[in-house]
Amino acid sequence: MFEIAKPLVLGFLFGWSLHKAGLTHYARIVGVYRLRDLTVMRFMLTALVVGAAVIQLGLDAGFTASATVPSTALLANLVGGVVFGVGMATAGYCPGTIVAEAGEGRLDAWLGGLPGLLVGAMAFGLLQPVIMPTLSRVGALGHVTLAGLLGASPWLVLLVLSQAVALTLLLVARVGR
Amino acid sequence: MRPVLQDTQPWHVDHGYGDLCAACHAGDPTAAEMAPAHRGLRSPLLDPSRACAGCHPSDAWARAERYQAVQHRATRRSPPPAPPAPPHPAQPSTLANRILAALAVLFSIALYLTARSELRRWRSAPRDHAVPARARLRAWLGASQWSPYATGTMLGLVVGYSEVFCGRPLAASGAFDRLAAWPGRWLFPTSQYYRHVMSPGITWQVWLIVGVLGGAFASSRLAGEARLRWLPDREWTPRFGAKPVVRLALAFFGAVLVQLGAGIAGGCTSGLAISGGAALSPGAFVFMAGMFAGGIPTAWLWYRGPGG
Repeated sequence: MFEIAKPLVLGFLFGWSLHKAGLTHYARIVGVYRLRDLTVMRFMLTALVVGAAVIQLGLDAGFTASATVPSTALLANLVGGVVFGVGMATAGYCPGTIVAEAGEGRLDAWLGGLPGLLVGAMAFGLLQPVIMPTLSRVGALGHVTLAGLLGASPWLVLLVLSQAVALTLLLVARVGR
Repeated sequence: MRPVLQDTQPWHVDHGYGDLCAACHAGDPTAAEMAPAHRGLRSPLLDPSRACAGCHPSDAWARAERYQAVQHRATRRSPPPAPPAPPHPAQPSTLANRILAALAVLFSIALYLTARSELRRWRSAPRDHAVPARARLRAWLGASQWSPYATGTMLGLVVGYSEVFCGRPLAASGAFDRLAAWPGRWLFPTSQYYRHVMSPGITWQVWLIVGVLGGAFASSRLAGEARLRWLPDREWTPRFGAKPVVRLALAFFGAVLVQLGAGIAGGCTSGLAISGGAALSPGAFVFMAGMFAGGIPTAWLWYRGPGG
């Protein structure tokens, strides 16, 4: 019982933030690709930088020995990102916002988006043995971080990253405020 | 470099393209604690009929013997290798650190210059203190939108908590891989993927998306926006018309591509781009570049021509 309380609460806050950020709107999601409404970018990059700071604090304070670093395989990350972007700009969804839109009562998310995710997962299941051996081998860096790759201090990487994010957001602030 | 690819066991080097650990060694990769994660661990080469025959039904034993021979040689000849030194010991004065520090100084100046006007505008904005605190709280909770920086900070704290205290990325797409494994296993009984890589389950991530459903409902309900509807509120109808079937078709097709792309890349917007980016994984930033490379031309194609 206690095991499922944590994901439920974290998911609740996740869904709440998706709605309050306005990401449950088709126009918002597609707007970022039409370079008209960059709310999604502001939301994502802010979350990324804050999350990175919390993780570094957690590591330094010894609450956890290591963060879960997703595996980097440059070609797979890039090709997957392109396919993902094509789908996202078509439907105005990403997996998290489909669920949030379903929670808002949108029937296109219940009857189009959610079945689509399940079919997409099965399509990946069928393609995985065919494409992944090649895709995941090119540029396979494994579970590295930028700091590990550069041989630099993670806090310095975080500082420069957050500054770059802040600059980007300030410079694009005039687009679709 | 994946750690298994540097292993002395040639099997791991030959098969290191996938996260196949549990397929051969058993155990439960989704468990958060060590004890349940290691339940039922086995030594694959001792039982090739179970570990190898799934993919190599005709010559499982011959293949296993080859690897067994190498394993015996390796264990006989050398003591277990000393744990390798961390590849990048934290040195305070590496070249990378100096370049980053210089960048930080440059960025600070650029930030100061760009933020000056924003700060002035923010300071001069009028504030209404006459409304009582309770009503303000109610209005705040029931707002249809908060600043993306406020919600972004909130999500960042959730991502950080999930990584530090739950040891997991905050990922939405993984749940659908698990849920689709039920029909997948039944529809494609010979699939290598469903026999060895992906098993169905109501995992941590499935409960996470149940929470997302609830959180989005609560927030939209308080804002008076939770109601059943078929079409997006803005921009859809002028471009694609008011027929629900068109929306359903494109929603379905887009969602298929989104989940397929997440599978190939190893995560979605939340699990790879945000959580992975927060863990400073280079793959997250490559994924985001790919998202824009795919999304911008697609959006242009949908909206080109008159009325777009």
